[in-house]
Amino acid sequence: MFAYYLRLGLASLRRTPMITVLTIAAIALGIGVCTTTLTVYHLMSSNPIEHRNEVLYAVTMDGWDPDQPWHSDRPHLPPPELTYRDAQALLESDISDRRVAMRKTTVAVEPAEARTDVAPFLIEVRLTTGDFFAMFDTPFEYGSGWDAAADAEANRVVVLSEETNEKAFGGIDSVGRTIRLDGRDYEVVGVLKDWNPTPKFYDLNNGPFDESEEIYMPFALGETQEMQPAGNVNCWKNEQIDSFRQFLDSECIWIQFWVELGSPAKVERFQAFLDAYVGEQKKLGRFPRPLNNRLDRVSDWLDINEVVQDDNRVLVGLSFMFLAVCLLNMIGLLLAKFLGAAPIVSLRRALGASRSAIVKQHLVEVGLIGVAGGIAGLVIAGFGLAALERLYSQYEHLTRLDVAMLGVGLVIAVATGMLAGLYPIWRVSRVQPAVYLKTQ
Amino acid sequence: MLELGPILSALSRNRVAAILVMLQIAITLAVVANAAFIIEQRLEKMSRPTGIDSDNVFFVQSYGFAPGYDALAVIRSDLDEIRALPGVVAASALSSIPLSGGGSQSTYQITPGEDAPTVEGNYFEIDEYGIEALGVPLVAGRNFRADEVQTDQGVTSKFVPAVIVTRDFARDLFGDEPAVGRQVYDGLGQAATVVGVIENMQGSWVNATRLTSVLLHPRLPTPPIARYVVRAQPGQRDALIAEVEHLLASNRDRVVTWVRPHDWFLDRSYKPDLRMVVFLGVLIVWMLLLTGLGVVGLASFLVRVRTRQIGTRRAVGATRGAILRYFLVENWLLTTAGAVLGILLAFAFGHWLSNEYALPRLAPHYVALGVLALWILGQLAVLVPARRAAAISPAIATRTV
Repeated sequence: MFAYYLRLGLASLRRTPMITVLTIAAIALGIGVCTTTLTVYHLMSSNPIEHRNEVLYAVTMDGWDPDQPWHSDRPHLPPPELTYRDAQALLESDISDRRVAMRKTTVAVEPAEARTDVAPFLIEVRLTTGDFFAMFDTPFEYGSGWDAAADAEANRVVVLSEETNEKAFGGIDSVGRTIRLDGRDYEVVGVLKDWNPTPKFYDLNNGPFDESEEIYMPFALGETQEMQPAGNVNCWKNEQIDSFRQFLDSECIWIQFWVELGSPAKVERFQAFLDAYVGEQKKLGRFPRPLNNRLDRVSDWLDINEVVQDDNRVLVGLSFMFLAVCLLNMIGLLLAKFLGAAPIVSLRRALGASRSAIVKQHLVEVGLIGVAGGIAGLVIAGFGLAALERLYSQYEHLTRLDVAMLGVGLVIAVATGMLAGLYPIWRVSRVQPAVYLKTQ
Repeated sequence: MLELGPILSALSRNRVAAILVMLQIAITLAVVANAAFIIEQRLEKMSRPTGIDSDNVFFVQSYGFAPGYDALAVIRSDLDEIRALPGVVAASALSSIPLSGGGSQSTYQITPGEDAPTVEGNYFEIDEYGIEALGVPLVAGRNFRADEVQTDQGVTSKFVPAVIVTRDFARDLFGDEPAVGRQVYDGLGQAATVVGVIENMQGSWVNATRLTSVLLHPRLPTPPIARYVVRAQPGQRDALIAEVEHLLASNRDRVVTWVRPHDWFLDRSYKPDLRMVVFLGVLIVWMLLLTGLGVVGLASFLVRVRTRQIGTRRAVGATRGAILRYFLVENWLLTTAGAVLGILLAFAFGHWLSNEYALPRLAPHYVALGVLALWILGQLAVLVPARRAAAISPAIATRTV
């Protein structure tokens, strides 16, 4: 029977080509717009490390100004970064399975002597303790990260990004080779594969959709070599800071800190440790604000840092209102079409078709329109996203249509079609055959 | 003759179709009014004056990395060489770029001490050629002297001896009193004298609430990063960018990271707003088109359904014009009914948007303009089917087939 309904549906669509085209166009436009905004929203709000969401926690502590909270409109939230002193203190606890303290800096890369065609270039560095790579599941092309000893001794070792390895070494296996940064030699111990988590969840401070850093090196080097911070530095306290050492000891916040806690028990223990530590510090006159230490999972961290901009939400909402207008349009078109075919339906009813048969046939027809409109809509969305690329110039990875969104687009298309078809189908199923069989 | 009665009773026989179009009109009005309002807000935001000579300035970033790099010497020689180039109006060291998303902010007070009220200010460090290089005219006081420019290298809490402030910052800190000659204190009780006031200058962050509360500090940058601002004679900017890049490349102890015009930074900072404008613009156009099509569809349907009545009316003496007018008036009624609902929806939606997303309240004239647009759109859309109706031959009335 389904094949029969299919044939009937196709014939019916062919009978009124104009209306068919308009109906498909209505869905296509609505789906095109919605899929475009939803894709961007989906990519912006995605969690790139979903599979480790249960064990990774961002650590924040509220040591900010007693007279005003970090967020004036959300006073229950601590600032997003720690002081250097506090990060060092937390690194010493072994309650967590893994831990990472990190921050950004910049260096100039001097390519190997052999490559005279490449001038020295500036890159962003992530100074981090060694657990970074295991915690955030970074894929390695060659080699690996460094161990705790390298951290403790502040060894000059680096892990390169794929791009940096390409630029400095031509893409070969450079493990064991030397790279000259800011006039000092470092040994390459690892090269990452292309890795750009979207958003850059582990450090949202400067640009949640920025690319990952190009070189990674031990956190302690930042202190021993007095490397300038390249991220956000915020200080609330009026302190005399006349040396790099004094800066490290100050109440300025500029360090990102994450822990890996494999079980709820460990989470509790670590939270207790944080609270006890701050309690101690309060006795020294630090942490004047009420106790507020947080451990936030990546998914919550992304929400707290408001990665999805309000503009995106407004656009998604408006797209659905647009879809609503498309839907209303479709209902009108389908009504006109189905009631226009009332004589044929009456004939079929007179020949013995039941009401439910009429309904089923029209559902199939509407489904066909939905699918056709959905496919056309996804094509429109493809063009739309391609056009958007210019407006998202730095963030190409936000305008890529993936399989999930293709599926969502089709589902919305068919659902919209079905919804639009409900009333017209109901009307046509209640057609009194006698009325239409009479008139010629 | 407006024939309102017959029109309304005829419409009520095709209630559903009419309601569908009315709803479309209502939703379209709500969306279009709010979208147009947001577009205007963003365009206004993007057209705010930067205060500096944005058309003619460009910026340089240099990163000195060689061991034993003498940052001060390089900065001085760089600037001397740049200033000697023909076509350069002025050049200065500059700590960060206005509207680039990066910069420095501090708090300032009129009296020293922990409890004194503070005012936030976005500050930029320049040398004695700074205000000429940026192109910010002084409206009071004087420029920095060469001896006031601090050259301490490395981390320091030392304040500067003098500052130049924007009018808006002066108002924030001193109210209506003149600022020149007054003392400004930092958090450590150190004082600086306000030596000059400039008309206007935007700070680093495009979404800042007090964007034009800006100060200028006389200080040279600390290694490794040094930035310069260069102001070109009108029309010479792009040629000079290439020349400066070439000039500075000869020093291989440092990386000239970039030489960029201000446009580069402005475009990047305003991209999100531009996105919104483009998206909403496209949405408005498509929505109006779609609603227009809906009106055409409904009118065509009604003409078809009423063919016999129209033929009959023509047979008993109605003119073509009367038929046309009938459809135009009917459409106007529909649009108005839809618009009434749409006005409510528009303000409700606008209210929700302004609460949820801290946007300003919808200005009523956008709703009015939307209604006008929909009236015109509706009348235009109904014209073709209406003319077809008017062309229906009276002979139809007498046909039984």
